Amino acid sequence: MDLILQFLHNTGFFLADYRNLIMIVIGSFFVYLAIHKNYEPLLLLPIGFGVILGNIPFFKGFGIGIYEANSVLHYLYFGVTSGVYPSIIFLGLGAMTDFSFLLANPKLMLLGAAAQMGIFFTYLCALALGFTAPEASSIGIIGGADGPTSIFLTAKLAPHLIGPIAIAAYSYMALIPIIQPPIMLLLTSKEERLIRMPNMREVSRKEIIIFPVVGMVLCTFLAPASIPLLGPFFFGNILKESGVVDRLANTARTAIIDTATILVGLTVGASTQGDVFLNAKSVGIFLLGAVAFSIATASGILFAKFMNLFLKNKINPLLGAAGVSAVPGSAREVHMMGQREDRTNFLLMHAVACNSSGVIGSAVCAGILWSFLIG
Amino acid sequence: MFGLEAIAHNNGWTIAVTGAGIVFTGLATLSFVISQLHKVVSLLDRPPKATVEVVIEEKIAIWEPPDCPNDADLAVKLYQPLIDELPPEFDLADLYILAKKYHLPHPHLSIRCLQDAGKLKSLGEGIFRFHA
Repeated sequence: MDLILQFLHNTGFFLADYRNLIMIVIGSFFVYLAIHKNYEPLLLLPIGFGVILGNIPFFKGFGIGIYEANSVLHYLYFGVTSGVYPSIIFLGLGAMTDFSFLLANPKLMLLGAAAQMGIFFTYLCALALGFTAPEASSIGIIGGADGPTSIFLTAKLAPHLIGPIAIAAYSYMALIPIIQPPIMLLLTSKEERLIRMPNMREVSRKEIIIFPVVGMVLCTFLAPASIPLLGPFFFGNILKESGVVDRLANTARTAIIDTATILVGLTVGASTQGDVFLNAKSVGIFLLGAVAFSIATASGILFAKFMNLFLKNKINPLLGAAGVSAVPGSAREVHMMGQREDRTNFLLMHAVACNSSGVIGSAVCAGILWSFLIG
Repeated sequence: MFGLEAIAHNNGWTIAVTGAGIVFTGLATLSFVISQLHKVVSLLDRPPKATVEVVIEEKIAIWEPPDCPNDADLAVKLYQPLIDELPPEFDLADLYILAKKYHLPHPHLSIRCLQDAGKLKSLGEGIFRFHA
């Protein structure tokens, strides 16, 4: 009888805390969004399942939980806390990215720069709310709408916040179809949304091959702390564009990035143990994440409108919303918004150009913030 | 510490303005560089300047038969292919025509040389047979 009682005391039913139950409900909601609503399933499904997994109550001290040394989850989580997974994901991203649209219309890169203003605005907001400077930087980077970059910077500056920041960053990436369209509609007129972009010039193969080298040298000279992200990113891109190592490029953009995405999603999800995750700070991070993402979207759009004051060939200001680095979600959303006004207006390629610029921009931002606060 | 005081205490304004400025300048520079990239590439791709190539025409070596109608061995060597074109017993005039056709030098003298050397045996009535 004692044995049975002892066993029952060790079951999840006995050890369950209301916070675990809340998180299990949240995790299940993510799984529902991923499967039923098809909202960024590649991210939300691993994260959602990880949230459920991480909130199964267990007897502490047995080396089971993600925060317990020597547990399997702890070892897998090492890739997050050390910043290894984000670098691997960037390698795969580079091998997927086509920069020819950006090379054809380089001024779109400025929209990627403008959208990073959300990061610095949110940084100030977070400081004002009482977060420390490293915490505020990690929260601000959510505005880049780049999950791996957010994880990387948080791992370096505020590792205790990785869970909520990663969840917030990935959640907002998944919620692009809900967050961005109202901001786009609010800040643009119908005439602006109808602006057609000119046809792109054909970009030579040499330009496409030279760009990763030039881009990496320039960006990493400016912010050497972004080497762990931009190095693999541009390396992945030259693997793809060189055309001589198709096997490597193919592995980078399929098996490698998929493995890293699975592990990062699952472990980040599992890191949201109710007792650690559910607190006022996490709520604050979620709210600030929404502010960061919205400001980033708005600043991209407003900067496109500002550029139009000087440009002969106007830019469709919707493209500014794709300046965040949520690839390819925000580009898709911009394209769909453009098509809602005019079904013959194709903005996708131009939006992808802004998107790829946003990836570079947010990685540079992470490098700069890390450099500022590393001392 | 909260609000503007917290921002000022953490050097927030400076970090935000400087950070934003650096990102913007960096990406604007990259944008400028890539806008010029196609010009650099076209410079590299420009075909080399047209140069006047002096083509030295090689003198085509035309084989000329040696001019020595008194050398019977050489005459045999030259006339053997012609005789091969003729029937075994042939008219000497036919051999002469062939020699002219192939521009062999001094056909009269060469044929005389062949006769003197006993290489062409007369069968009468202008018909000859070759004996190598």
